[in-house]
Amino acid sequence: MKVIVARVDRCTGCRTCELYCATERGSEGRTLLQAVQETPVPQPRLRVEGGPDASLPVQCRHCVEAPCLDACLTGALVRDETHGMVHVKEDRCIACWTCVMFCPYGVIFPWPDRKFALKCDRCMHMETPACVDVCPTRALEVIDLAELDGVSAEKRKAAATLAIAATDGEGVVHLDLAG
Amino acid sequence: MTVTTYDLVIVGGGAAGLNAAAAARARFPGKRVLLIDGEEEIGYYRTLLPMFMTGVMPEEKLFFQRPDDPVGYETRLGVRALALDREQNHLSLGNGEVVGYERLILAQGGRPILPPMFADRRLPAGSFPVRSLAVARRIKDWLPEHRRIVVLGGGLVGSKTSVFLAMGGCQVTLVEKEPHILPTVLSERTAAPLQRHIANLGIDIRVNTTIDEIETDGNKVTRARLSTGEWLPCETLLIGIGGTPDIGFLADSDLIDGEELVVNPGLQTRDPNIFAIGDAVTIETAEGEHHQPWTWPQAVSQGKRAGDNAFRPSAAPVPRVTRVNAQNISGIPLMILGGPGVGSEVVSRPDPDPGVWREFFMEADRIVGGALVGDIAGAGPLHFRMANGEAVGGEAPQHLQRRTRAFAAESWGRLARARRARRFAMEGERA
Ligand SMILES: Cc1cc2nc3c(=O)[nH]c(=O)nc-3n(C[C@H](O)[C@H](O)[C@H](O)COP(=O)(O)OP(=O)(O)OC[C@H]3O[C@@H](n4cnc5c(N)ncnc54)[C@H](O)[C@@H]3O)c2cc1C
Ligand code: SF4
Ligand code: SF4
Repeated sequence: MKVIVARVDRCTGCRTCELYCATERGSEGRTLLQAVQETPVPQPRLRVEGGPDASLPVQCRHCVEAPCLDACLTGALVRDETHGMVHVKEDRCIACWTCVMFCPYGVIFPWPDRKFALKCDRCMHMETPACVDVCPTRALEVIDLAELDGVSAEKRKAAATLAIAATDGEGVVHLDLAG
Repeated sequence: MTVTTYDLVIVGGGAAGLNAAAAARARFPGKRVLLIDGEEEIGYYRTLLPMFMTGVMPEEKLFFQRPDDPVGYETRLGVRALALDREQNHLSLGNGEVVGYERLILAQGGRPILPPMFADRRLPAGSFPVRSLAVARRIKDWLPEHRRIVVLGGGLVGSKTSVFLAMGGCQVTLVEKEPHILPTVLSERTAAPLQRHIANLGIDIRVNTTIDEIETDGNKVTRARLSTGEWLPCETLLIGIGGTPDIGFLADSDLIDGEELVVNPGLQTRDPNIFAIGDAVTIETAEGEHHQPWTWPQAVSQGKRAGDNAFRPSAAPVPRVTRVNAQNISGIPLMILGGPGVGSEVVSRPDPDPGVWREFFMEADRIVGGALVGDIAGAGPLHFRMANGEAVGGEAPQHLQRRTRAFAAESWGRLARARRARRFAMEGERA
């Protein structure tokens, strides 16, 4: 499974990813200029968290045992069979926000204006996710979890610093620097 | 008497039972499984019934499983379990059949509580408990011609049903015996803005009272009397005063303590071959606390775990026991972390926006309950910190603050530390 990983050491908190996610995946016009004029204002599926000292874009980890999938009251949240990504079928969502409550990472965002829950689907139908494409410091990368097993110790060490490697579905964000 | 024996028998095809069946099927493909349910139709979202019966939700979105979906196990529908014989490992069914089991999963859910005036369980035409699809279909057919409605019970089901009815143009009176709506999950202060909001939809809310008599004309509801003596003319009475575990058929099984079907965190009853899940059970934690987490997400999680556990040498515990619940009451988001406990400290913070309110119930330095109204940002991480029993102590005020960012408060210190550590590690590598 291919997931997006974010690197704390590279993120400068510029929020370019948020802008382009909202434009590419949430707007009608698909250009920044048009997107900012739309109502409701397009919303991103990831958020840059943190402060001036350190920041990090956070988005769905597509947990293996995803608590949000158990929680959805309507069958709107599903795992895509081909890509393995957890996503919201917008036409089935009733905006009850139960899933918001069941994501330990806080990466399902209520979008009351459009009456559905918004979350990252890793742009699974696109070549590269919009956020990864635009990040000026390459703080966002796509990594294949299967390939992680085969990489060198050095790379693995780097991977351990990646904030979004673990997909165990429990607890809070893992920023484990050991190993 | 011929007895067909199955490896696994599941009683109840609600969220809990069907997830258990699917999980057991996937994990133990060689096992022969039977699922029985008293209802003719199963595989629907019970949570969507209020939307369905008020016409907001079309029927095709109601089901997660269809009768002709290949499931890989046998089913008996419209058949209830009547008695359990643990010595023989036999279950007697309403159609006269007796089935044997090696493992049994009890997932029969709850049945609606009826008010004392219906103690004989005979309901006049126009009065309905809100619980099953069969009844919801009857309500749906009934409502268009009978639009003066009394909803008895201001809990989650009663309140949200009233909202959908009012939005559909019905004339609704909501009757709650406690001083405010949602009494088991919200404090009076937290309920206040919601109650105002609901009243503004045109719902007549009556608190501190109940319905103790119904008048009928030719067995059709015509008016309902409040305990204050006032008569409310109405053609429909919807009953939403909660459910209670449906455990009558287990009376002689020696699995019931008091009124409760108690299981351990691995979802086993005192008979390790018999599991029980969902709205039917009380979970006893290792610390001896009793929980009744009767919600949809719990029914699903417990179902999956019970199916996984069915033939394992030791039962793994359910991932989390939590009662949290979320609702969107016509545009006002509401997150319920847990009801006001006895003796817990209440911390809250007013917000300039009257529609926003956050309140926690604290024991020592842990959050044990509370609610977020109007602003639910950060609710997920907060929920998991609560469920993991993490101490938040001095951080509680931060969580009370209105937040637009998802979880800035939690991650900030952690991120800063991580970044420093990373720099430190790189310097170490260079040296
Ligand atoms: C109207 C309504 C709205 C709700 N809204 C929400 C919500 O918004 N959020 C939320 O978290 N939860 C909600 N709930 C609660 C949630 O639906 C339940 O917690 C969940 O459905 C429990 O699932 P279960 O499988 O344990 O029980 P059930 O879904 O009750 O399934 C039990 C099944 O067992 C069958 N059965 C019972 N006895 C027998 C027997 N002796 N033999 C054979 N079969 C039997 C029943 O017919 C039933 O099909 C709502 C409930 C209702 C009624
Ligand atoms: S729980 Fe959160 S991080 Fe995990 S799959 Fe669901 S939305 Fe993604
Ligand atoms: S908000 Fe939508 S996706 Fe989330 S639980 Fe409710 S229906 Fe499912």
